Amino acid sequence: MLEALLEGLVLVLQWKALAFMLLGILLGFWVGLLPGLGGATTLALMLPFVYTMQPVEAFAFLLGMHSVTATTGDITSVLFGVPGEAASAATVLDGYAMAKKGEAGRALGAALASSLVGALVGAVALAAAIPIVRPLVLTFGSPELFMLSLVGLAFISALSSPGGRGMLRGFLAAALGLFLATIGQDPQAGVARYALGTLYLWQGLDLVPVLVGLFAIPEIIDLVVRGTSIAGAVPAGKISHGAFEGVKDTFRHFWLTIRCSLIGTFIGILPGMGGAVAQWMAYGHATHSARTAEERKGFGRGDVRGVLGPGAANNSKEGGALIPTIAFGVPGSTSMAILLGGFFLLGLVPGPDMLSKHLPVTFSMVWTIVIANVITVIACFALLNKLAQLTTVRGALLIPVILVLVFIGSYTSNNHYGDLVVTLLFGAVGYFMVLAGWPRAPLVLGLVIGKIAENNLYISIARYEGAWLTRPVVLVLIAITLAVIVYPLFQARRRAAARA
Amino acid sequence: MRSLLFAVLAAVPLAGFAQSAPYAGKTVTIIVGYKAGGGYDATARLLARHLPKHIPGKPTVIVQNMPGANSMIAANHVYNVAKPDGLTIGTFNRNLPVAQLTKVQGVKYDMTKFAWIGSAASECTILALRSDLPYNSVEDLKKAKQPIVIGATGPGANTYDFPLLLKEFLGLNLKIVTGYQSSADIMLAIERKEVDGRAGSFTSIRPFIDRNLVRPMLRARADEPGVEKLPIDEDLAPNPRAKAIMALRSAPEIVGRPYVMHPNTPPELVKIMREAFASAIDDKDLIAEATKAKMDLNYVGADVAVKVMKEMLSQPKDVVDEFSKYVKFGE
Amino acid sequence: MHKNASLALSLLIMIVSGYGVVAATAWPWKAALFPLVIGVPLFALAAAEALWTLFGAEPASEEARDFQLSIGTDTVHRTLVAAGWIFAFFAAIVLIGFPIAVPLFVFLYLKLQGREGWGISIAITLGTWAVFYGLFDLLLHLPFPAGWLLSWSGFSS
Repeated sequence: MLEALLEGLVLVLQWKALAFMLLGILLGFWVGLLPGLGGATTLALMLPFVYTMQPVEAFAFLLGMHSVTATTGDITSVLFGVPGEAASAATVLDGYAMAKKGEAGRALGAALASSLVGALVGAVALAAAIPIVRPLVLTFGSPELFMLSLVGLAFISALSSPGGRGMLRGFLAAALGLFLATIGQDPQAGVARYALGTLYLWQGLDLVPVLVGLFAIPEIIDLVVRGTSIAGAVPAGKISHGAFEGVKDTFRHFWLTIRCSLIGTFIGILPGMGGAVAQWMAYGHATHSARTAEERKGFGRGDVRGVLGPGAANNSKEGGALIPTIAFGVPGSTSMAILLGGFFLLGLVPGPDMLSKHLPVTFSMVWTIVIANVITVIACFALLNKLAQLTTVRGALLIPVILVLVFIGSYTSNNHYGDLVVTLLFGAVGYFMVLAGWPRAPLVLGLVIGKIAENNLYISIARYEGAWLTRPVVLVLIAITLAVIVYPLFQARRRAAARA
Repeated sequence: MRSLLFAVLAAVPLAGFAQSAPYAGKTVTIIVGYKAGGGYDATARLLARHLPKHIPGKPTVIVQNMPGANSMIAANHVYNVAKPDGLTIGTFNRNLPVAQLTKVQGVKYDMTKFAWIGSAASECTILALRSDLPYNSVEDLKKAKQPIVIGATGPGANTYDFPLLLKEFLGLNLKIVTGYQSSADIMLAIERKEVDGRAGSFTSIRPFIDRNLVRPMLRARADEPGVEKLPIDEDLAPNPRAKAIMALRSAPEIVGRPYVMHPNTPPELVKIMREAFASAIDDKDLIAEATKAKMDLNYVGADVAVKVMKEMLSQPKDVVDEFSKYVKFGE
Repeated sequence: MHKNASLALSLLIMIVSGYGVVAATAWPWKAALFPLVIGVPLFALAAAEALWTLFGAEPASEEARDFQLSIGTDTVHRTLVAAGWIFAFFAAIVLIGFPIAVPLFVFLYLKLQGREGWGISIAITLGTWAVFYGLFDLLLHLPFPAGWLLSWSGFSS
């Protein structure tokens, strides 16, 4: 085991592999930053270049690019409130709020440092989990995945607003998200649900246009209204440092960062849950870990913990997502499916052999993720305070450029004007939700999880009938769901009693 | 006067050259009806890299993705919006003729009227079951006491339609569980023994056959290297009607990676493209890349493609009616 | 403002979910089950929210843990201006296509809304256009259709 670990490191540290990794990192940096460029699309575009490379170089290149994309996506989220990748939307909530308070540097520092911790934890967890990976993945069948999606929803809905009224709105937003997720051809009867006579809606709502509209549009309108720079009221001198403060925050809330990293790894390991879920689960956990209402108050208004959680999960999930791809030859996402193509180029058949005979190759991938992140984070730190300065640029100069990125970013998901309409509609919905004081997070998680929940519920019932409810892991997850919902109510009552 | 003569003399060979290489200096666009990253996209990108040297005049060949409605959006675009100048090629879901046949709303194309270039591959659908199960033949499947659980994505996909017809017409004791998000998720369900097997294209299942997770049992008609020994579903059909329905389901698979142009494309341009595709798919560089990526390409001519389309779309109404009871358009 | 927005959203959701539930009843039960199971509680939750907004007292602290809009002078007017620009950009993309709409919008916004100088407006416009063209057109080959206006008038060839 240890031997394989070292052997893997040696594989990555060959100079050519390292050079290709650096190239990948450079590309991935921009792909993550620009909302119009998705990780999966870019991987597909890069695949031809891989044909001419040696196996380990190819992986260093592809994985280096892929893992950096997740990290730098957070930068756009923090600076402009525009999610750079579908998987980095959760960072918008507190990250952008911090930027508004003039703490962009600190938020970026926290996002990157927690990403690094996440990548390391993910890698360690992965290495440690290799002996038990198969049983772990195989324990989570469709019934467990269904319950897990409910746990995630309960977390976010119950905690995204305070009090009973807030809970109502949380569940309302979550239900709306679940409902919107039913749009599109259903996998049971093949009916095109709520397609409104268009072909565009057959495939359902695409996540990117929805996210971009929901998060970027209200923030842009607000910037126009304020007529200042993003960090308008803050004196310019204060913004040029602070990145290091974010690093310190990561260690101040070290255990939170570790826990969110583990959540990310775990969600990553489960195929079919997807990257966007991991970040929101971690965000939910971060709010949940604040015990009292007082402590929770800062979330959504620029609490650094709201950046640390998603930041950590964002990268640790990449390590996790490799597991089903490697151990079973079953990719957990489009990006992983493209990476799987890379395996074939290597002449490797992914499967149990990857955890025994080819273990060094597996570890070389883990190392690639770690090294790519270390390099990115270090390189970015030189830039962070400069990047933070962008929040002091006049809004009038930034707004048209951000809007161009928003519209192209949404258009690239299907190359269809329907994407733009969706962005505008959800921009309006997002604006009114913010205006009315409704939380947006449960809506997003509902939308992301809706299909997973519906499909896995049908599979569970069709396959096990009623018996799926008695599976031990399912029972545990049911208990957690109930606890998550009941606990805040109980807490509120106790607080009311104490006041009386 | 002399300069005029020169000009004429100079122009003659140029005109002749332009005639023989109408693609010189042009950009050919392949429109893929799916997002980047899938099988249709990978095939198109592979072809785009190797086509230029097989087209006289060496045009640039690029790939654009136009996803949506199981690639109906892209098909409608190539049929109605694209110009018939031979510079736009479309590659779509092989099941588009099913949408036309079952009169799905939104179809604005006629598969028989496209200017067909051909198909870059045949895709054979097979049924594979876990190797640790005691089933070795189709007879075993019929006699199975416990229903055999088959994981599927949903109606319209070969993961669902193929086993459904096997169950209905051959009387196999199958229980089809739908809702898996992708064929990869079904594969994982097989690993954890949530389901006993799946149907799907031979290409996608082959790696799992190679490592002995699943065993192939049965296949559909479309030919592909490696499936020769498997029994064909149609050969086991109990009556002509069942056979017709099965044949109708599997027909598009013969034209597994269809490539077409606008119906009014000038025949000489279509001819150039057909020849280019035929020789590009035989190109040894392309074959080397395809083999590495575990893709099997073989050129299926335009005549075959058009014949398959015409056959499919001229079925009597009662056959179509019964067919649409089982098979819906999807994926 | 909060109250009105909340009310409007709840009513909108009631209409959407109401339509959704009615539309779902026409489908086979397997397709309809999930929309119904979610649609009905969604309608009820939205109705509860609407009633609470109309008749309940709203404590000041009940805010979502989410983004807060800034309130300044002239908020409504400026919000409408912002929405107008966003929509105008969308309309321009549809009518004259991305390749023209992008530089045009950037330039007009800088000049008219931002009241920036000629130099900086032209520089930013050129920069944005260069990134747009180089990256999305040349490198990624995104299909940017010509605008409707141009296709109608036959200029798009």
